[in-house]
Amino acid sequence: MKSKSIKEKVMHIVFLAAAMVCIMAVVLICVFLLANGVPAMGKIGVFNFLLGKTWRPGQDIYGILPMILGSIYVTAGAIIIGVPIGIMTAVFMARYCPKKIYAPLKGAIDLLAGIPSVVYGFFGLVIIVPFVRDTFGGSGNSILTACVLLGFMILPTIIGVCESSLRAVPEEYYQNALALGATHERSIFKVVLPTAKSGVLTGVVLGIGRAIGETMAVIMIAGNQARMPKGLLKGVRTLTANIVMEMGYAADLHREALIATGVVLFVFILLINLCLAAIKKGVEQ
Amino acid sequence: MTNEFIKIKGSIRQRGFNLKKAAALSLICLMFFLSACKGGVSEFEETREITVISREDGSGTRGAFTELFGVYTNMEGHGKVDATTEEAIITNNTAVMLYCVSTNPYAIGYISLGSMSDVVKSANVDGVAASLENVKNGTYKASRPFYIVTTQSLSAPAKDFISFILSDGGQEVVESAGYVPALAGREYTPSVDSGKVVVGGSSSVTPVMEKLKEAYGAYNPGIDVEVQQSDSTTGVSSTLQGICDIGMSSRALTENEKHSGALAETIALDGIVIIVNSINPNDDFTSEQIKGIFLGETAYWDSLEK
Repeated sequence: MKSKSIKEKVMHIVFLAAAMVCIMAVVLICVFLLANGVPAMGKIGVFNFLLGKTWRPGQDIYGILPMILGSIYVTAGAIIIGVPIGIMTAVFMARYCPKKIYAPLKGAIDLLAGIPSVVYGFFGLVIIVPFVRDTFGGSGNSILTACVLLGFMILPTIIGVCESSLRAVPEEYYQNALALGATHERSIFKVVLPTAKSGVLTGVVLGIGRAIGETMAVIMIAGNQARMPKGLLKGVRTLTANIVMEMGYAADLHREALIATGVVLFVFILLINLCLAAIKKGVEQ
Repeated sequence: MTNEFIKIKGSIRQRGFNLKKAAALSLICLMFFLSACKGGVSEFEETREITVISREDGSGTRGAFTELFGVYTNMEGHGKVDATTEEAIITNNTAVMLYCVSTNPYAIGYISLGSMSDVVKSANVDGVAASLENVKNGTYKASRPFYIVTTQSLSAPAKDFISFILSDGGQEVVESAGYVPALAGREYTPSVDSGKVVVGGSSSVTPVMEKLKEAYGAYNPGIDVEVQQSDSTTGVSSTLQGICDIGMSSRALTENEKHSGALAETIALDGIVIIVNSINPNDDFTSEQIKGIFLGETAYWDSLEK
């Protein structure tokens, strides 16, 4: 009896330690980012840094507005392309899909989630870039290309979350709608989907998180020009791309400015997580 | 009972719905892929915009390129400032550079002579082809030295490795790797027979250093050479900090680095090749034209000054 309680205590501590490792990682990253990034922002000037339109490390000009806008545009585009496809796929999977197709389809979507981003990048470089260049003109390395590719990349996240939330809607809702004379489509889009609203929103927000943090694939196809975004068919540099491109060579204030770029990205992710928390709170109420 | 009926009805409807829709969908997918796989344009249109592709700020290759072709402006207080057009696509990787140029008919970029590949076309500069021969005899102007960086306090094994690199045996390796040897006429005799040498730095120099390391193993198997790839700046600073015995750099030392006690020695010459797509009829540029393209003054292929 006693040995059992000791065992339980020991395991209790082991679990606590595991949880602490996780929390420590987050805390250390926060401390590192803030300690290294905030002084740089101070040196450059917060407004010069956040609202500066020019990024020329060679001349000590560090303005990351082009990259902030780049990240926002690319993410918005990915949402415009990915969300409708994702939600409709989820509806199909949950409500229309015959059993025979379901298993291979589910497998394919899971596979889509597991493909490394550098492979997505290569796919974009080989297929989407030439396609955009031949169809719409320009060089092909553009905002549009990045949006399309990121739209693909966020699909598994959106589909997964949306589908499970659609399945969580009680079957009676659907049946009652049918009993009232609504068609199959109408019951789904007017009753089931609105009930699963918060789950769908969660999926979309998670998709935004994935799109804004994506690096490798975007670097390969977006062109990475460090200037204000000029149009759908012109290139763009995102926050993540800015950090990765220049970290290898950066020194002194340039390096600190890149870490400060990381702080901005971190704030974005924080905002996204707050949105998630707000949505969850809305569900509980 | 009714429940079952609904299910049956639903499944019938589903099947009908799916057969038609699936056929339509697969047709759309097929069309998309066919149009995507149609591939490169076979005709080169002179009226299209030039796609300029450059390396990232701080890269040794970019530094050498802008210096050699004069793609900079003089700015008060800063000296020479890289003035590559803001519209240039930036890549931090030779492979992506090669791929972009090989698939985009309107692209122009630059790579190191040692990384040249058949998938793209190398352009002549001022009428001279970019080849090992022409870099060697000095007619091809766009070349840069590869350096090894050391400090005063050099270990005995590191000294031995360097004397191998600069000997005839080492310089032969350099030439067979596709670069131009820097000097000739020195003999190599092993001075120590055991120890460890750490070499680190530029990703452009790393391939040739790997080959040198292999060849060195045959001459002096007792010394263990470790090659770490990073970049020129990291190579120099870790040599100064004593993390590496020998640094590799594809650019000259800065004044700051010289002050801190870094010494550079040329081990090879590398050409910088201007590359264009294989269907691009423009493959002979003057230095002025290249400067204009990379400064962003020449935006279209038909506005190149002939």
